[in-house]
Amino acid sequence: MKKYILLLFILFPFLTKAQSVSGVVFSDEANGKQPLPGVNVVWEGTSEGTASMPDGSFTLKNKPGRNKLVFSFVGYESQTVRVSDNDPLEVVLQPNLELEEVTVIQKDRGTYLSVINPIQTENISGAELHKAACCNLAESFETNPSVDVSYSDAVTGAKQIKLLGLDGTYSQLQVENMPALRGLATTFGLTYIPGPWLESIQVSKGAASVLNGYESIAGQINAELKKPDSEEKLFLNVFGNDEGRYEFNGNTNIKVKGDTLTTGIFVHASDVSKENDHNHDGFLDSPLSSTFEVANRWKYNNHRGGMAQAGFTLLWNDRMGGQVGANSDMIPSEDNPYGVNIETNRVDAFFKSGIVSQDNHRALAILTNFARHETKSYYGLSRYDADETRFYGNLVYTQDLDIAAIHVLNSGASFIYDDFNEMLYNQDVQRTEKVPGIFTEYTFKPSDRLTLMAGIRADFHNIFGNFVTPRMHFRYQFADHYTIRTSAGKGYRTANVISENTFLLANSRPISWTEDAVQEEAWNFGFAFIQNYKLLDRDLSINAEFFRTEFQQKLVVDRETSSEFIYLLPSTEKAYANSLQFDVRWQPVKRLDMLLAYRVNDIKETIGGELKDAPLTSDYKGLVNFNYTTNLKKWMFDYTIQFNGGGRIPRVYEEWMNRADIAGDIFEFSPYTIMNAQVTKYFRYWNIYLGVENLTDFTQSNPIEGADDPFGENFSATNIWGPTMGRKIYLGLRFNLNYE
Amino acid sequence: MKKLILLFTMAMFIGFAGNETFAQKKENKVVCFKSNMDCADCEKTVTEYLKFEKGVKDLKIDHVSNTILVEYKDGKNSDEELAAAIEKKGYKADKITQKEYEEIVAKNKKEE
Repeated sequence: MKKYILLLFILFPFLTKAQSVSGVVFSDEANGKQPLPGVNVVWEGTSEGTASMPDGSFTLKNKPGRNKLVFSFVGYESQTVRVSDNDPLEVVLQPNLELEEVTVIQKDRGTYLSVINPIQTENISGAELHKAACCNLAESFETNPSVDVSYSDAVTGAKQIKLLGLDGTYSQLQVENMPALRGLATTFGLTYIPGPWLESIQVSKGAASVLNGYESIAGQINAELKKPDSEEKLFLNVFGNDEGRYEFNGNTNIKVKGDTLTTGIFVHASDVSKENDHNHDGFLDSPLSSTFEVANRWKYNNHRGGMAQAGFTLLWNDRMGGQVGANSDMIPSEDNPYGVNIETNRVDAFFKSGIVSQDNHRALAILTNFARHETKSYYGLSRYDADETRFYGNLVYTQDLDIAAIHVLNSGASFIYDDFNEMLYNQDVQRTEKVPGIFTEYTFKPSDRLTLMAGIRADFHNIFGNFVTPRMHFRYQFADHYTIRTSAGKGYRTANVISENTFLLANSRPISWTEDAVQEEAWNFGFAFIQNYKLLDRDLSINAEFFRTEFQQKLVVDRETSSEFIYLLPSTEKAYANSLQFDVRWQPVKRLDMLLAYRVNDIKETIGGELKDAPLTSDYKGLVNFNYTTNLKKWMFDYTIQFNGGGRIPRVYEEWMNRADIAGDIFEFSPYTIMNAQVTKYFRYWNIYLGVENLTDFTQSNPIEGADDPFGENFSATNIWGPTMGRKIYLGLRFNLNYE
Repeated sequence: MKKLILLFTMAMFIGFAGNETFAQKKENKVVCFKSNMDCADCEKTVTEYLKFEKGVKDLKIDHVSNTILVEYKDGKNSDEELAAAIEKKGYKADKITQKEYEEIVAKNKKEE
């Protein structure tokens, strides 16, 4: 049989003269590759083709105008292969585990938990992103049980996320597997990625792979943007809500040279120019803002293992919050209204490229990105100006150590350059980080049921010295219905003390710091147990997980020790976060997806010498989401309810214990509930959606303390635990045209 | 009393089920085609296109057995127009009877 294949290869040059394609089809079995006979080989879009011989080989006449072959065989994933030149093809088909599947328009699963990935990962697909219409990455987590989204203060409109109950800064944010939106972009970065540009989001909890750096502590959030070689030809979206927010998004993909060279152009514009003050405290409920963003990206794929992508994004953002009547032209002074103005200009660029060897067993990838960020702002009378220049490069070499790819080694080197210039209270802060690093990661995957991953990296930081980051992951599907995962790993990050906490400037107390950069350090341990069943013929998945993060060094924000300052100090005292979560996903009725989730947070840190609950953090969260689509998905209905637990409000005890002028409990906030709902109607080329956020119109009472005297000593807009915006009704339209 | 409730519920269910089949027979028409889609993407293209044709209520499209079943509201569309829609997307639409369709699908299932 081998001889035959050999003969085929020798004969090949002659065969090609006869204008035909040939090759061998294999199946990917546990004991290596096996020739696969009887595989259907047809030119895509036609029924012309052949079947593979008993030794897996096939020969097929060329067909003018067709260059893709489709390989299909019962029990295996179909594969489409592009035919270029006249090289012999080697096609490996993967067994398809769900044999019974005769696809009858399946309901697109929105969020699902991966059982294959060794890291506990939730994938948020494009379908899920349709459930909540609004509007950028920060707002894409409304229907997600693991990520909490809240406002950081009541004036800037900055949204922050929490993963495992820990602030978003402890989650490594990535765009297409490259660390992004760090440093100065930490505060508003999530709002810089328009939702309609997103293809999917992956949220992974606990230690991440060492390939992506040392930064993830609580987890990792990766945003995948739309790809220029996707089938989308043109996408347009307009959106408006009753609070006067308007948005336009558009993108188009152009095939410059077939599917070899493609480019995508993206545009985003949004505007809020209506002044809303529903609680009549004299302050805008959310800032006025205007944003304009454009992006262009290119993709080159030679379909023979070589690929390169490059692109850039430009962003202009201007926001104006504070008292009604404040505007960005005024000079900050006590004679003018209190205002918070933030102007940002930013450019992002990336380049990545990869080559895969002919035999598919080795690959080399390079990933780089660059960002320049400039911001000018004032918070009341305090000015804060900053700029940042950042470069990131990562080189990864992947090598299968054996033919069946049971042992895989990923190794490489990375480099980070990050230059900061900041000015606050007329004090200049300058800092340049340079961090070269090396890493290696070993993966052991003897079968589909078991994966073991162990990685280690060493980084050489010009400010914080050398440090080692070990991480380990283990996944085992020990029975058809049960999968377990464990992980343990170290994480480090540079806390940019001022830029990450600028929202605290919306406060009468000035901030006080000793070091402008602090290296935070923590261990993270995780355990998850996933059960998958069929209940009444429909998938039922039950997930239980526990994560613990233990800090060795943490930047602690102390707003409760001094009535004169807010202290930002590094601390090696006890700080930890425990997060226990359960979630159940099922379809009780055909096409009705149900998600029930409940999480308990136990997050403590030492503030002023005392171990306390982390401030402004709910001690639990419950989430119920229903999604119903009519047959053939012409209508979609969504309903989400979130139950948020109560928590602690940080205050200087001595100062507040006798305050009688404030009603209610001043050291605690109570549990509250938020509801969202949306209806979408699909047509062939477009769809329209109507929804409501915060249906019950719940808002935090008194979000701005001392609102009547914003330049006085009692002013504070930073004790925010709940929504500051009431009910919002929105309407949007999407138009979508695909290539065929 | 419990029995009565049980009986009542059962009656309801039977009533509903009966209603549904009745409704289906009266209003909806079913047409089947043999096609040449061959690939999963082709199946998706046809599905996305056909589902927004007038009156279409249900679809069963499979690229492995190359079969298309369309259920649609009688009077809102016709077998010929649906066939034309499939052909417009570049695929064959040879009309077959529902019996033939079921035979092909059953045969395919067996092979698997």
